[in-house]
Order: sequence, then C-alpha cells, then structure tokens
Amino acid sequence: MSVFVQCPPKFVAFRCHLLLALTSVLICTSCVSGRSRGSQDFLDLLLEIVQDTSDLHSDGTLRSVCATACDCLRELEACCPGLLSQRLELLAGRRQLESSRLHQPFAALHTLALRNAVYQLTQEKGAGAEHLKALLGGITSVAWEADQDSGLMNNKDSAILASLILGPMGVVPTLQTGPDCKELRSVLSSLLEESYLLTPLCQAALLHRLTEVVAMVPGIPPAIFRAQLLRLLGTSEACLLHSTLLMKCAFTDSLFSAEDEAFMLKRLVVLSQHPRLSTHEKLFYLDCILHFPENRPISSGDETLPVLLTPRLASALAPTVFNDSATLLSRFNLLCLVHLEEGEEAEEGQGLEYLHDHLTALLHIVENGGSREIVVTFFRAAFLFLFYFNHVERYSTSLTEQLCKLYLHHTNLAPHLINLADQTQDRLPESDWAVGLLTAVQRVITSITQLNPKDLKWHLKMLVRVAEEGEIPQTSTLSFLSRVITPSFSSLCESGDWRQGNGLLAVCRRLLLHPSLDSLLIPLADILQHLARCYRDTDIQDHARLYYTLLTTLSREKLAGVMKQGATNGERQVKKRSLSSLMSEGEGLTSLLTIHQTERAIFRLTEAQSEPRQESKEGDFDENKVEKCPDEANAALEAYRAQFNDPSFASELTLKYQLAHIDSHDSRFDQLFSIRLHFSLTDDHYEKLQDISVPCLFREKPSPTVKLRLKPRRPYPTTLHASAIVTTQDGLSWHTAVPDVHVAFEQTFMLLPSPPSWGEGGRLSVFEGLWEDICSENGESAISLFCCQLKEAALNALVETHFLPYLVSDPSNKEEFKLLLFLPPQCHILLKISSKEDAVHFSIATDNWLLLPHIGSYLLTITASEEDPPS
Amino acid sequence: MTIRALWIISQEKGENVSIRFSRRFSTVEHRAKSLAGSSYVAVPEESTVLQLLLTELGLSDPDKAYVALRDDCLHRPRSPALELRVDGPGKGILWPMLAISQGPLILACLPLVDVPPEPRPPLASLLSVSQGLTLLAGLQTFLLGSGSKPDGEGLVSRLAMLPSVLLQVCPLGTPLDVPLLGPPATPTLPASAGNQKQPAWKTGLHRGRAVVNVALTETVRSMQYGNRSRQDLWDVFGTVTCKCEVEGVLPNVMVTLSLPPNGSPLQDILVHPCVTSLDSSILTASSVDNCDGSAFSGPYKFPFSPPLEPFRLCSYTSQVPVPPILGSYQLREEENQVHVSVTLKLHESVKNSFEYCEAHLPFFNRDQMGVAEVKVSYGQLDVSKEKNLLVWVLGQKFPKSLEVTMEGKISFSGPTKGPADPLCTGLTAYIKLYFKVPDMTLSGCCVDQHSVQVYSSAKPRIATSRELTSKDYFIWNSTGTAPVASGQTMM
Repeated sequence: MSVFVQCPPKFVAFRCHLLLALTSVLICTSCVSGRSRGSQDFLDLLLEIVQDTSDLHSDGTLRSVCATACDCLRELEACCPGLLSQRLELLAGRRQLESSRLHQPFAALHTLALRNAVYQLTQEKGAGAEHLKALLGGITSVAWEADQDSGLMNNKDSAILASLILGPMGVVPTLQTGPDCKELRSVLSSLLEESYLLTPLCQAALLHRLTEVVAMVPGIPPAIFRAQLLRLLGTSEACLLHSTLLMKCAFTDSLFSAEDEAFMLKRLVVLSQHPRLSTHEKLFYLDCILHFPENRPISSGDETLPVLLTPRLASALAPTVFNDSATLLSRFNLLCLVHLEEGEEAEEGQGLEYLHDHLTALLHIVENGGSREIVVTFFRAAFLFLFYFNHVERYSTSLTEQLCKLYLHHTNLAPHLINLADQTQDRLPESDWAVGLLTAVQRVITSITQLNPKDLKWHLKMLVRVAEEGEIPQTSTLSFLSRVITPSFSSLCESGDWRQGNGLLAVCRRLLLHPSLDSLLIPLADILQHLARCYRDTDIQDHARLYYTLLTTLSREKLAGVMKQGATNGERQVKKRSLSSLMSEGEGLTSLLTIHQTERAIFRLTEAQSEPRQESKEGDFDENKVEKCPDEANAALEAYRAQFNDPSFASELTLKYQLAHIDSHDSRFDQLFSIRLHFSLTDDHYEKLQDISVPCLFREKPSPTVKLRLKPRRPYPTTLHASAIVTTQDGLSWHTAVPDVHVAFEQTFMLLPSPPSWGEGGRLSVFEGLWEDICSENGESAISLFCCQLKEAALNALVETHFLPYLVSDPSNKEEFKLLLFLPPQCHILLKISSKEDAVHFSIATDNWLLLPHIGSYLLTITASEEDPPS
Repeated sequence: MTIRALWIISQEKGENVSIRFSRRFSTVEHRAKSLAGSSYVAVPEESTVLQLLLTELGLSDPDKAYVALRDDCLHRPRSPALELRVDGPGKGILWPMLAISQGPLILACLPLVDVPPEPRPPLASLLSVSQGLTLLAGLQTFLLGSGSKPDGEGLVSRLAMLPSVLLQVCPLGTPLDVPLLGPPATPTLPASAGNQKQPAWKTGLHRGRAVVNVALTETVRSMQYGNRSRQDLWDVFGTVTCKCEVEGVLPNVMVTLSLPPNGSPLQDILVHPCVTSLDSSILTASSVDNCDGSAFSGPYKFPFSPPLEPFRLCSYTSQVPVPPILGSYQLREEENQVHVSVTLKLHESVKNSFEYCEAHLPFFNRDQMGVAEVKVSYGQLDVSKEKNLLVWVLGQKFPKSLEVTMEGKISFSGPTKGPADPLCTGLTAYIKLYFKVPDMTLSGCCVDQHSVQVYSSAKPRIATSRELTSKDYFIWNSTGTAPVASGQTMM
C-alpha cells in the first residue's frame, strides 16, 4: 500500500495492478473476512480513491484507477458481503453524480452492496422499515451498529453469496417493511431508469440483483420492473433475456400474466431457431425451454416440458439432417419429450413417425460413409429414441433390422452397437430390445456365406457380446466358429494370426460360461480340439488345449467357478487391456494369476502372553538323569561355556505372536488361506528371517499362534517390517501389508541354557563364576549401579513380576536377589538387587557393555511402574 | 456474473492443440470454495483441462474410430455447457464448462455457480451462463474479427493484447463489458452541457458532420423438391445494420421500417440493446404462430441512441408467398451417364437485375466427369471436371421470358473418384443457387430516407440501402429422395 501511495499518478497500469494484487492477497488469505487491520486500511484507501473527483475533469488518468478501485471494492463486497453496507449513501451519490462512463462500475458496486445489505437486514430479528431507511440514508445508530457486527458473524455461511432466485420452490428471506419504503423505491427506480446506459453484461447483473432485492422486500411491488420489460423481451442479447426469465422465475404471476407467459414461451421457441442467432445461443434457449419457469408448474424436476409447449409449437424445433450434432441431439431429445405421450397412445402420431424417419435418414448418412461425428450422433439419437419409445414395437423392431443391415456393411461399427446394447440394457432393464438386437446380429453374422477376413475380428467381438446373454441360444454361433476354422471357408487356421486366434478363443471362453453349455459341449470341444491341433500359433494352441481340458474334465459348477472368478469382478469395467493379458480379457484368468494389493492391512501380529523362554531343544529333561553340577563356580562356568562350542547352541530366540484380524469389516477377507508371512529387518542386529506359513485364519475362530524365530547378532530391541500373501475364499491372491512388529529389549531375555540336569545350584554357580569373571576383566565387560527408591513390598513385587524365572538365589532370601539373564547369542546380564538404607541398589554386571543403556532404560521403566502403582 | 477461469485454445481438427491463453481468478476460486462446500471441485491443471475438454467436444484421439469415454451413446454433451469429468485426487465433475468453437479457436470459461450445487441446478437458473456466452462471443469477435476467416498474424497480435484488455473489462473475473474491437477509444471529455450521462457502451463522442447509414439486407433460404408429396420450403430473414455518426452524449435517432400495403407482417423481431423503447405490437407476430391477417404490419418504429461503431439495429423473419426463383431439377440415370434437365424461373415480382446469379450442380460419389454434353438456353456453363461440378453463370439478368433451361448428358468415366458426400448418393442430388439482387427486398420492407429522424441541431446526411441475397438455396432432384429440412411438414 505504501508503494501505491508513493507511486506517481501517471503510472496508471501499475497502480491498477497493485490494487488488484492487494485485493487478491487480502481475500485469499481471508484477511478481509477476518477484518484485519491491513484490510481496513486498504478499504479506506479504495474508498478514498473512488471519492476523489478532483482529477476527473482534467486528463482522466485517474478514471481507470477509479474504475479498478470500484472493481476491487465489488470483489471485496462479493467475497465478504455486507462490508460496504454502511457506505450505501456514498456509493449512490457517486453513481448519480458521475456522468462519464464511470457510472457503470459504480452502479454495479452500488447494486451489489444494496442487495447484500438488504439480505443482512432480513436476517436480523425485528428489522423493518426504519432500519432500511437508516441504511439507505447512511444514518447509523449505535445500537444498530452492534447488531450489524453480530450479523456479520452469523453470515459466515455461504448462503448470502448464493443467488436467491431458485424458482417457485425456493424460499426467499423477506424483510417486513409495510407498504412504506419510499427511499428504497426511489433508489430502485433511479437504478432502473439508467439501466439502459449500461452494457448488456452489466445490465443483466444489475437486473438480477434488483430482482433479488424486490423479492426480499414485499413492500415493493414487482411492477416496478414493468417499464423495462418490453425492451428486454425484444432484445437480441441472451443475457438480458435471461435476466427477464429469472425475473419471471422470481415473481411468476405477480409480474407476468398467463398471456405474458405464453408470449415468452413462444419467444423462446422463436429464439431457439432464429437464423440470426449463434448456435450456442440457440442451444441455450432450447435448454431454457426445458426449464421454463411456469407460473403454475405442475411438477418440478429435471427437464419437464412446459404445458404450453404443444406439438404444433414444438414442430418448429424438429431436428433435421442439416443441423450440427449438438443442435440435432438437443432438438431430438426435446421432440421425444413432446411426443412421449403420443407414443403411449394406441394411435401413434405423426410426430413419432417424423422422429423415426429422421433417425432413418441419419442411418442412411452413416451407411453412406458419414463422418465419425455423424456416426456417434446417430447412435446417441438411437439411444434417445429407444429410451423414450422402446415400447413402440413397430419402431423398435424396425430399428433392429436397420441396425443389422448397417452392421453387415459397416462391421467396424461393432463397438458402437455393443455400446448401444449395453446401455439400453442398463438403462431399460425391463426392455428386452438389446437381447433382440443381439439375437438378430447373431443371425446375420452366422448366416454369412462369404467371409471377408477383415470383418472377422468385428464378428468375433459381436459374438462374444452375444454369448454373454444366457437367453440367446448359441448353436448357430458354434456352427459359425466351426465354419470359420474349416480351410474351405477361410484360411484362418493356416494364417495363424494371433489376434484373430484370440478373438476366436474369446468367444469360446464366453461359451464355457453359457448356461446352455451342456448342449454345446460336443461342438465346442471339437472346435477347441481343432484349434489345439491345427492353429498355426503355439500360444493359441496352448490356450485352446487348456480350455479343452477345462471343458472336458471339470464339472459344470467348477468350470463356472474357474471362469467366473474375476469375470464377476470386472466384467465390463475392465476395459484396460495390455497385450500380455489379451489372452484372458477380463475373464478371470488374469485375476486369478495376478496378485492384488489390499488397500489396508487385514491382520496384525500381537505378542502372545508367554512363559520365560528357554532353548527347548533339550526339553525332554529327565529327573533321573540328574547330572552332578560342578560345585566350584569356575568349573561350573567352564562346563557351561563348553556348551557354546556348538555354534547353533542357544543362538535362537523364539517369540510367540498371535495372528488376528484388524477390526475393519471387509467380508472378502473373513476367511483367509495359505498365509505366507514375510519379514524384513530394519537393522543388522539380527539374521534374516525365514518366511512363515500359516494354513488359515478365520475371523470367527481363535487366532493361530505364530512362532517367530529370531537369531540375534546383538540382542537389541528392533522393529521388523512385515507383509503377507494370502488367498481369499474366491481364489484370488492378495498382497497385504502387516503392521510392524516391535521386539522389545525384555523379549530377548532367556533363561540360562545350563544343562537341564544342573538345577538351581548349578545356575547359582555359573552366576558366581560369571560375576567374578566380569569384575576381573575389562574388554567388553562392564559393571554398573542403578539406584531407585522402592519400598520392600514393591521391590518384592517387582522381582516377582519381572524376574522370578531368572532368580538364581534362594527366593526366601529377601536381603539380596541374584538374577541371571541370558541373551542370545552369548550375552549375560547379572543383577544383584539389595535394599540399602537410602535406596534399592541394582548392581549390574554384563559381558557386553553395549547393553548397558538398554538395561538402564528397561530398569527405569519397570521401577517407575512400581513406584507409582495405579491406584 | 463471475467466471472462475478462462481458456483460449487453438486446434486443427483435434490436432496441433495448444492453449494460447489462460487465466484463473483466485478470488473467485475462493468464493467457489465457500459456495460449493463439500462438493467443490478444483480446476485441474491446464493439460488436464485441455484433454477433458477435447474428449467432451469429441475432438480427442482423432485417429481412433471408437473411444468409450468420448463416444458412449448414453453420454450426450450438453453443449454449450459441458461437464468435465475430473479423475484423480481432485475427483469430481466440473460444470458448467462453457465452450464455443469457431474455426481454429476454442474459447472456454467456467462460470461460478451461485446457487446450491446439489442437486445440479438447471442451466436456466444461472445468469452467469448467458453472461459467460456473451463474454466468449465478445472475445471471439475480438480475436477473429467479425469475418469467419481468421488471419494468423492478427490473431497473434490480438492474443498479445488480451492481458491488458482483460485488465480493463474483467480484472477480477466479473466482467462488466466485452472487449471492444478496434483501438481503445481515446478518453473524451464529458459534454459540458447538462448532466446527461454517457452510456457505458459508448466509448467516445463523435465530432463533426452527422452521417447516418441504414442498410437493410434480406436473405432467402429455400428447399425445393418439385414433388407433390413434399411441400417446398422457403424463408426470408432480414437485418438492419446502422452506422451513425451523430454528435451528442445521448442523441436520439429513429428508424422506421415500412411494408407495402399488402405485405405480410415482419416476425420474430430482435432489437439491439440500444433501442430505447418498443411498442408491444412490434413483437406480436411470430413465425411459430398462426398468421392472422389482422396482425400489425407496420410502420415499425425503432427509437434508439446509437453507439459509435456499426451495429445490427434489428433483425426479423418474414413469410413471403412465393420463392424468388422457382426451379425444377430432374436426373435420370442411364448406364454410366446421367441425363440432366433443369428449369429455373424468376418470379415476376422480383427485380430482374442481379449483382450475380449462379447455379451450382455438384455430383458426388461418382467417378470423375468424362464428357458433358450440356446445353443451356441462356448464360454460360463452366465445367469443373476435378470437382465434378457444373457452374451455370446466369449473369445480371434473366431473359425476357424469365425462364432458363439446361438439358444434357454427363458421363462419369474418369480414372479417379470425384468428391464424396454421405448425404448425396445415387439420385439424391441438388442444385444450389447463389444470387444477390441490389436495391430490393423480398418482403417489400424498406427504410425510407425521409423516415430516418435524427434529433440534433445539425442536419444529417442520411443514406439507406437494401439488398437480397441467397443462402442455402437448394433445388433437389425430383426423381430421387431428398432429405427433410423442416419439421413444419409433420403437422
């Protein structure tokens, strides 16, 4: 803003750009709606510019800055309605005094601000004529100003931004003023009188805003617009006529008599085909006819014809082959609606006849090699015709015949025909026209005597679609196929064309699914066998053989199962095809052979409650074979250490997890089979993990336990990434992510793997031996002390919950606890816990000093939980 | 009215597509967000908009015969308000995308929908749609000129001017005017006299001698079948174009159209917005109504205050009892040649003084012309073998009998194929007439020089003119089937 102030007045364009940029920034950052300081200053600046009339009589450079300022103010008011409600008088004054073209931006700004201010009043309780008067006169009472602010706060919603003219069903907020609102009336009259001086765009906007104002203030009769009406109804400008239509929508019979209504509709029909108007204007007027604001609408809904639009009147809008596509289709649609009732009566009228003839004329153009645009237009018109008149058998049957004839000469229209069949079937489920068309096409194709090799691809495409219909018998299709592969009829088998072969197989594959398969079995098997033997393409042979095997060995149900999977998933939706999956075009095999990705995880691994872990290899421990443990500590230690000569000894950690569904309900995944879990490491503290297989997982049944065998290099806490491949009940394979598995430090603790025969004493001996060892040597070993405040009972509880299995000293000896923890592959943590006067001392010894931080944080965690027992 | 964005695209039948200009209005987008709430769909990237727009207009993938997204028979693009189906993260339907295309240009804009977006409001409830169309049409005229032939360099320079033009007419997405053709008017001082306001559509003031030019052009279209079962059709529409150079801020001019005593009333009258008032009787006659004899038949008075540039004061249609030239065309196929027989008859009421008059006889879907042994009773014949076209030049006058004939045989034995047309196969063939008659109208409508009133101090120079031209004037071969050209026949 300071740049603007300092910028010399002659840099007009620059100053304009600055104003626009400031407006955009302030609006988009919501500074204006938040009434920030900056936006207030900017508003003041804009108002100052628009009030400055000093320059206007000199060279007029200020004028474009002033116009831009008006634009900015209008945008601010539009984005933040009510912003200028206190400035109405100022704006009215400026507008009235301005005699240059600048009066237009002021008029636009004034009407918008007026409309928003009146809207705001309608939202205030008890607002009436007095408030309106004050508003227009620029008098602001203190009490009202307070109201004003609260009004603004409530207007955060977007209702005020929206147009108020919604038709007869819309509710317009009103302001009860009584009949006396002279001030507003005079403002409106003055604006309307001068509306002629505005450009059509601005005039239309002004009329629209004023229509809203009058709709909100019942005290002003809509007749205030009457003087303008004739001029507006005769106009060649689309937007001016449109604003009149919106006026009619808002005021209905309080401004427009039944006669006026009939006149307006006629006028719209005239405009929709006036030779002097552009195509898009005519199309717009056509649309307006379909949404004509009637004084007394019978029904509301999309595209209803006005009652007054008689077939006679509408005949002016009949489509002809000389129309462009958009006009043709719009008119065709309109005429269909006009003659809809006619079609329902027994005696079909001329209108319907005309439409059918028109469709035929289009068809002839297509037949004679019409452009792509005409082809598409014809099929769209055909769809419209069927949509409205499929029940008029005479015409729908004749259309079927004509389409078949058309197809024979233009087989490349197959995709259009299939599309037409699909859409009529979808949209008109009660009609069997599509089946009729497909049957007829099948008849036409299968009775061909001279086959053009170029057409074959389209014939096969059509036959695939025909085979989708269970009701259509397929014998003739099969005999056609067997003719196609006989050398006397076509040289297809010899040519070994891979694509054509695929086309053939696609029909066969569809037939495998056909409900009348039993009766087709032998000829179909013959065809497949022939293909498998004679087709000069190995790939086609292989597939033919596969289908043959499936057909001859599988029961009907199984065959349907195999073929249908995937077909149900993506029958027609699967339009994307890569060359490699062309083989099985959406027929299930691709689905079966590919692995799908789930959107989110289906199940997770949770730690199972478990007893302390011990290397279970020597689990078959026999009491009788008690081996004497060496009494002396060092000797015991040596014997203990000797066990590790075997590198695999006690090197593994087995963690138990429960595999369970995550509670998201997707019934597809309720029953899962052959689950293969794959883990990957996030660090190098552990050896690579083997995949784990779980036979099945059912949502309703107890969850299976998964044993995770970890082989630590260093027994540190870690996180494992996991994923799984599963098979669902429908035979599809899925790849799914599994939430990360966290291995806590304490999960690596194991019982000392001393020979099972040793018993308690042996372990104590090892403890003593290790302790001495660690104290005496440096290197990797370390000793440390951890202290904390714990009551005796708490200490006992702590030992009991966390360390009982690892206790090697006499449990009755509460003075000092000796604990021995083994961590694979070969680490030990030794703890002596004793209560001293001031605190409990945890003397720690370990043969791997790198473990100390983990031990520290673990002890901190468990002692902290004992210190503050949950109350 | 407010638009969210504006695009100008150039293309040649779906190829060489490029966006030549685009503009988005951030503050309007801000409003769009709060108006649409949860159903807000952001305007995607330029390239995406372009692709979607071309698909909707049926111009994408010009080399593919069938594209499901483009050619689905269920989907009917509701031109001029299209819907763009945006995929991906900002999924939704962008509507109503207004697009008009002329020649190599596609102009598109996306108006702000200022009524609740769900369920979709009818197009007719959005004032911004008609305003958007007005803006696009204005831009189109600005870029291409009023002629349909675009000129490349002019287009480039106009495109380069667009940013500064938009700064004037539509800086924040809400235009108050359409861009004006020609150089921006020099700001003129408001008239010192009085407090009359200058119209916003008047860019300046005229100084000097007052000149008023009123030109009346009538166009006649016809479909003649020469067949008892099929009614011949013809219609006439007229346009009054004015160029007024009159002093004053808001000078008053009145033009009066009058008809001969028994003339049929002017129908479907449309007037320029500068017309200050209209009599209701002027608007009553309409071509879709029953004509009743007592209808108002003039004089038609149009009071207006003229803008500086030439403008179309009004246009009308008229129903005349006979076509100016009645023709009959007969083709007979004989082995590899056709026998042609044509008669053209000028109606006696038509002034026999043409600027030009030609009859074109094209032959489609045949081999190239070989020998053409054709005789005409009057005028000259040009044979264009490459185009398979006979051009019969009748010149300035019909002979005294007012009737001319052509008779002969044409063989089609050329080595190559001639032009093709899906409509005109076999005996479906036509003659197309091109003519222009100066100083006459078919409806009899005229503007008398003395009836033009200019309320200003200086005496103006007034010139009036009128002419009749043909457009789509077809005479179909009566021995073949001809396409239906109007639904009026169904009644």
